[in-house]
Amino acid sequence: MKRNYCLTLALCTAWGFSIYFSTAEAVDRNEVSEFTSVQQAKKITGTVVDSKGEPIIGASVLVKGTSNGTITDVDGNFSLNASQGSVLVVSYVGYTKKEISLGNAANYNITLAEDAQALSEVVVTAMGIKKEKKALGYAVSDIGSKEILKNKNANVINSLAGKVPGVNITQSSGAAGAGASITIRGGNSTSEGRENQPLFVVDGLIYDNSTSVIGNSGTDGMTRSNTTYSNRVMDINPEDIETMSVLKGAAASALYGSRAADGVIIITTKKGSEGSVKVDFSSKISTSWTNKLPKAQTIFGPGYYENNGVFNDLTYDSWGEKISAGTALYDNIGDFFQAGAVYDNNVSISGGSKNNSFYLSASNYDQTGIIRKTGYDKTTIRFNGEQKYGRLTVNANVAYSIANTDKTLTSGGLYDGGGSGTMTALYAWPQTDKMSTYLNEDGSKYRLFYGRKDLEEESYENPYWIINKDVMNDKTKRFTGALNGSFNLTDWWDISARVGYDQYTTDAYTYIAPGSVVKPLYQNGRLNKSDYAYTYISTNLMSNFHKTLGDFDLNLLVGTTTESTEHLNQTHWGYDFITKGTVSFSNILSGNQFFKDATIKKRLVGVYSEFRASYKNIAYLTVTGRNDWSSTLPVDNRSYFYPSVSGSLVFTELMPKSDILSFGKLRASWAQVGKDANSYATLTYLRSPYTYGSYTAVGNYWERGNPFLKPEIQTAWEVGGELRFLNGRLGLDYTYYHSQTRNQIASPRLSNASGYTLSSINSGSVINDGMEIAITGKPIVNKDFEWDVTLNASYNRGKLGNFLDGVELFYPTDAQFGTVKAASVPNGGRFLALTGTRYAYETQEVDGKTVEMKGGRYQVDPSTGLYKISTANTAEDIVVGNREPKFIGGLNNTFRYKGLTVSFLLDFRIGGDVYNGTEYYMVSNGLSKRTLENDRESVTVSGVNSQTGEDFNQTYYADKEYTISGTTYSGKAMIKKYWLNYASNSYNFITSVNWLKLRSLSVNYDFTKLLKKQNVIKGLSVTVTGTNLLTWTNYKGMDPEVSTAGGTGGSGATGIDYCSVPSTSSFSMGVSLTF
Amino acid sequence: MKKIVYILLSLMFVMSITSCTDWLDVNTDPDNPNNKSALVANRLPWIQHFYMYSAGVTNYRTSLQAGVYYTSNGVSNNGLNVTWACLPGSTTTSYQSWFAECANNLNDTYEKAEAEGAYHYMAAVDVIHALGFMEMLDLYGEIPYTDALGESVSPTYDDGKTVFNGCIAKLDEAIKLFEKTQETGAEQFADGDMWHSGDVSKWIKLCYGLKARYLLKLSKKADTFDMDEILDCLAKGPESNADNTIGTCYNKTSDVTDSFYGDPIMTNGNWDYAAYGSTQRISKYYYDLLTDMRSSGITDPRMSKIVPASMCNIKLDASGKVQSYDWLRSKPVDFYGESARLVYGGATSILAPTYASSEVQKSYAIDNDANRSTFIAAIDGKYAYTVNDKTVKVTYRKGAIYVNSDDYMKAGDSIYISLRNNSVLTGNSSLGEMDMNWYFQSAAAMSAGAVGSTGSFQIRPNSDQEILTYHEMCFIKAEIYMRKGDKNNALKAYKDGIKAHIDMMQDKLTEWKEGGYKNPDMWPMDESEISNYLTSDAVCQTSSELTMADIMLQKYAAMGCSIENWNDMRRFNYSAGNIGSFGVVYPGYDRSPLFAGQAQITGTTKTDPKYWMRRWRMPDKLELAYNSTNAIAANAHAMDADIWCIPVWWDCSTDEEYYGYIK
Repeated sequence: MKRNYCLTLALCTAWGFSIYFSTAEAVDRNEVSEFTSVQQAKKITGTVVDSKGEPIIGASVLVKGTSNGTITDVDGNFSLNASQGSVLVVSYVGYTKKEISLGNAANYNITLAEDAQALSEVVVTAMGIKKEKKALGYAVSDIGSKEILKNKNANVINSLAGKVPGVNITQSSGAAGAGASITIRGGNSTSEGRENQPLFVVDGLIYDNSTSVIGNSGTDGMTRSNTTYSNRVMDINPEDIETMSVLKGAAASALYGSRAADGVIIITTKKGSEGSVKVDFSSKISTSWTNKLPKAQTIFGPGYYENNGVFNDLTYDSWGEKISAGTALYDNIGDFFQAGAVYDNNVSISGGSKNNSFYLSASNYDQTGIIRKTGYDKTTIRFNGEQKYGRLTVNANVAYSIANTDKTLTSGGLYDGGGSGTMTALYAWPQTDKMSTYLNEDGSKYRLFYGRKDLEEESYENPYWIINKDVMNDKTKRFTGALNGSFNLTDWWDISARVGYDQYTTDAYTYIAPGSVVKPLYQNGRLNKSDYAYTYISTNLMSNFHKTLGDFDLNLLVGTTTESTEHLNQTHWGYDFITKGTVSFSNILSGNQFFKDATIKKRLVGVYSEFRASYKNIAYLTVTGRNDWSSTLPVDNRSYFYPSVSGSLVFTELMPKSDILSFGKLRASWAQVGKDANSYATLTYLRSPYTYGSYTAVGNYWERGNPFLKPEIQTAWEVGGELRFLNGRLGLDYTYYHSQTRNQIASPRLSNASGYTLSSINSGSVINDGMEIAITGKPIVNKDFEWDVTLNASYNRGKLGNFLDGVELFYPTDAQFGTVKAASVPNGGRFLALTGTRYAYETQEVDGKTVEMKGGRYQVDPSTGLYKISTANTAEDIVVGNREPKFIGGLNNTFRYKGLTVSFLLDFRIGGDVYNGTEYYMVSNGLSKRTLENDRESVTVSGVNSQTGEDFNQTYYADKEYTISGTTYSGKAMIKKYWLNYASNSYNFITSVNWLKLRSLSVNYDFTKLLKKQNVIKGLSVTVTGTNLLTWTNYKGMDPEVSTAGGTGGSGATGIDYCSVPSTSSFSMGVSLTF
Repeated sequence: MKKIVYILLSLMFVMSITSCTDWLDVNTDPDNPNNKSALVANRLPWIQHFYMYSAGVTNYRTSLQAGVYYTSNGVSNNGLNVTWACLPGSTTTSYQSWFAECANNLNDTYEKAEAEGAYHYMAAVDVIHALGFMEMLDLYGEIPYTDALGESVSPTYDDGKTVFNGCIAKLDEAIKLFEKTQETGAEQFADGDMWHSGDVSKWIKLCYGLKARYLLKLSKKADTFDMDEILDCLAKGPESNADNTIGTCYNKTSDVTDSFYGDPIMTNGNWDYAAYGSTQRISKYYYDLLTDMRSSGITDPRMSKIVPASMCNIKLDASGKVQSYDWLRSKPVDFYGESARLVYGGATSILAPTYASSEVQKSYAIDNDANRSTFIAAIDGKYAYTVNDKTVKVTYRKGAIYVNSDDYMKAGDSIYISLRNNSVLTGNSSLGEMDMNWYFQSAAAMSAGAVGSTGSFQIRPNSDQEILTYHEMCFIKAEIYMRKGDKNNALKAYKDGIKAHIDMMQDKLTEWKEGGYKNPDMWPMDESEISNYLTSDAVCQTSSELTMADIMLQKYAAMGCSIENWNDMRRFNYSAGNIGSFGVVYPGYDRSPLFAGQAQITGTTKTDPKYWMRRWRMPDKLELAYNSTNAIAANAHAMDADIWCIPVWWDCSTDEEYYGYIK
């Protein structure tokens, strides 16, 4: 019994319900008998108009409690059969629902009032509890299906970009199947492996959204940056989504507990509605293209000049001679990419009656990438069903998806395997060599330096070889299911229970073909297979008590939840195929095959409670508390409690009704949320054993476990308000927030004198302050023409608070791109800082100390004749950038004229440094246009002599010689050296980036009205959409919206643009049909 | 009915609390053992191996400072020998491999051994503690010590005196523990002891030998330097080569590479740094001691075993294999003396030669007539050439060894033979375990059989790693007697030391030859050369003539790749000649003409302690960036550029002098 808590709870829950089921049936039978005496129905007609008397087209008119209903025609007229005494429910989006009791009359003129927005808006909050928006003491943003599908993307995260204040989306690259990362109100944890991304909850089930590296750098050479990975929310079909609620602050998400410290995104999928069965079909084709590519110089050819001026052609670098007229040039970069294509088909059937509803959908999304041989395809099936048995409601959600990605090595070869990725080779390939020729006529491999360089000495693999000969793919099969039951015991007490299951397997496959540019060990082929299995089981039991006492409305919720998560990553790899042509482990000697598995388990039990009280429609108060027990913490510290309190005041209720200020609310909240550790951080483990002669040796791992870990605790407060003017025509929503996450659990590099390179610790705090503002308006609303506009803007300022004394910088990862690394600066420095290298400035004496004059002239090292690279190493000296934007936001416009809807979304960002690592890379190899300065005839170094302090001015001319420190250098060698010296100064590639993007432009025409007088087609619309069509930016590289290594935790790799697959723009056309 | 529901619900809540304890116990990784479960018999080999690894990199880099080797590798390593513009990049590995690879296992092992009553394991842990921390003291001066390896992630520092006394105390404890009998049931010491196969008496000798080595460091301290105690330790220390503590190293195809450093596990720690790459060469200082000790003009029999050779004048047969060749014994790189070659080309300018896999032509423009004549004379008869005005065009036939440069001054760099040796895992996989040569860096050279270097005695992958040797004991004894004025005993110990070292080498060379290694530099020395040498003028034969320089230079030659040479040089202030009446102990050792370390080594006269390299800077990337507050608290100058010339505690004559430096 103790062994399996989950099962116990589930069984108890089921038992509990079965006891009540008999009672429920009895109640139900009574009710049914009352309904048997239905009165004679008669024909009812009517017209539905708005407050100005304009007819409302397509309004729903339904006899309450039945599936009998209709919709109004173009003149707002309707007719249906109903009996006297029944109630008509008339509703239309944007208007307040109205109920009309039918009397003797046969004709009704019904006026619907425009919904003053938010007055009675209901949103889904933590634990799936629906609440009136005005009752909330914290900011929640919700987005409906239409808005999500406007710029539909395989990755639903990307559809959020620019639409929600405080939410920052970063796409990792333009590769098919590449993931995106999302942070809400900045990151809260410093460390790698703690992704700072919100929890996703789909229909009550916590839904994994990790971006996992399948495999391991140490075994099969897979790393986060050598290819692209999906984030697993991509497994959801966006068409299935009804709404998404974004819970931003700690107060909003506190009930979800440990995993919700970075916010929560609640996705509610579609349900069938009462009425006749509806079939929706939509189909879309789209084409995509690279929206910007780096430009290679075409003036100078391959080769370089050695120090003594001797020309060396044994290189891919383009420091050679001027390309003579008539030499064939190849646009290798441009030619490498193709137009991507997507075929996207969806079908859904939904329907329901009074006691049940169902929704069944299937979709297929088939994408061809902009890199040949790459692609992403996804097939999904979903069933949502609900059945009522009197007081018992049972619903089930089941989804299955298959996602396959064909990908390629991008910015690097396999770790410790040699070779290169496609992008690093592409951005270095000489423009005089036709890169697409990678085979000789006889089918053997063509190499530029064949016979002159051994395979392993080659700097790059030909990208065409990589995409045509090597194979890299992954296949994910995912099943999610949840069973929910809720029961109304009495009118003031209900209980509900849920069991959820999320399971997927990803099989990754990497094959390096024989003859590849890799280490000699792997030159006769290499094969990696990794199987990653994720299993998550959760149970949740909630009981809700509700009482009204006079003007007070009271609500108490208690609940308990368990979660069990398990990851199993099995890696099998080997090299050297014995018999040509068979790619299989059976064709590899057993001594050359390796197997490794890694299991990660995590379990959590939570008990939570929420108390709500409200006074009239004026004041609302919510208090929550939750206690978690997490398996990942030491036994003594595994239990932790955290409370929240939030309230709102609708002050307009206390004021006389006004047409100008129709609604006004103030809100405030304070909350704590705990965050547990990653699994196994409490113990120190051993490294794999070694054999030494006749001895076997084992020793401790380089990361130290910490048996004293405590949970991270985030304390946050926010204040804000909502104002609605002119009956909701204009709205303003403002939030200011502050959060501090203490006891940061991290495994940073620390003093090795502790015995370890990395130590698991609790130290430091991450502090975020920010603001969110959203302005909504309906400048024009009339019968034929409507204009909706939403402007949102937000900023976040992330800092790292006090940290271990003496620690200058916190690096979330060891990864370095070009000359920069992601870092956080302790003691109030930036959370999203960037460290790098730079030239040293001239110095002066201040109080007897020699200090650099920042911004002054550069030091020139007379022993190299070039700028001196600073060796100073304090945080102040090596922080070269701050990647956090000053402001981000979006402007969302929708114009509707009769059946035509045009909408566009502008997305902007102001500030935030981006390191152009691709340009760094191309300066280093001589392909950058920057290196054409003075036609490579001369370069000038100007500053002060680093040894003497005297002025240093030297121009190096290509055709002269220079003696520096006793060595004679040719001018051409000096010019190359100058540019390599230039490349090592990170500042030469950092831009504080502003952008304005036309994120999406969509034109939709609804043909429904043209299809009168038939009963088959209920809806028909055609949509044309363009995404990322225009970008105005001061950034000179590719798309500034990049993250070289997606899914990295802590301060991540956003703002580092290093040899990524370029971003894409796309154009699509779709048709949507409803039967 | 409702009551039942209430009861059930209450029960469920209660269960959720009580049953979680077991259900939550899943935080132990099922796939990896943890530090509480490892056997001490498996721990000790790990500790011994990584101590050897740490000592290897330390021996190599301090040997650069002592002038044993030259390297053209990078600016930072080269800065330790040629320019003295010491850069922190070279100080990381010793520190990291000691703390994070070796020392982090000490406490776990000690505690588990203590629980078992495995006293000899506890004692071995103590000895390695002393070995490692003393090296840290030698290198960095002040280090986290009493607070290291504990709970603190920002350990505080101790001064050199505390570290020194701590290490001596550990050795004293080790001696006591070795004298105990292990409890029954404790793991057998022989199962985990790679150094002495569980022979406790040899461990006790090692402890006394180490005490002698360490107490000798105090030679500048008039008040605490206790020569009689050192002699007493020597009496209880190793008495012959049979008592040497050496780590056996292997070149095996069954070896694997370490996941931290990527080096083969079973190979010699010195090799991993001194002879892994092709940029290291013999220095003129070391070479001169082996060819002209005491200006005798006599070549040491050990010379050809220490100074590598390569093939030259290679002729290939029809199948492209080496048919005939000559051995070319390496010439040394001069960087303390005239240093003509480096002055011409720069501190790191020595180029590696290339094997011509097909015919190569090089043109050399030589403006100076005399130089041109010399150049032509040097190649005449070896290679075809034409002279056109001032340009000499040389044709290197297939199989030739040439330097790929058009600079005639560098064309002769092939005389500087790399110390490189490939292991079977690092390039010799196709050649097997018994081929201990390095072939010129290409597949063609390997296939032809063109040997680029025969390697050097101490730094091959399968060389013995010398942890404590009898010959070092002899030289310590000689120094002590010399200091005591007992020249007769000093001479005896000095001669014993030389002989012990030669004997040790000869035993190993004999073993190698019998083992079937084909490399002639791994075969025994000629016995007659040995006896001639021992009685020649290269060895001082009469006590009256014996000088401290004689002793220390023979010790230097015998120790070779060892931190002790640098320690000794610091004790004698290098070539300042201001220690006692011993005169200049290391004649000829001086700053290079390419000296560029004005910022690091600030002294201006030889008798100024700061004229010389005295310590290493703590590594930036692994220590100072994370623990600067504690580093500065221990030594106010920890972050300063000239920390490199501040003496460590034992290198100061008094505590006042020491604390004066670090205030």
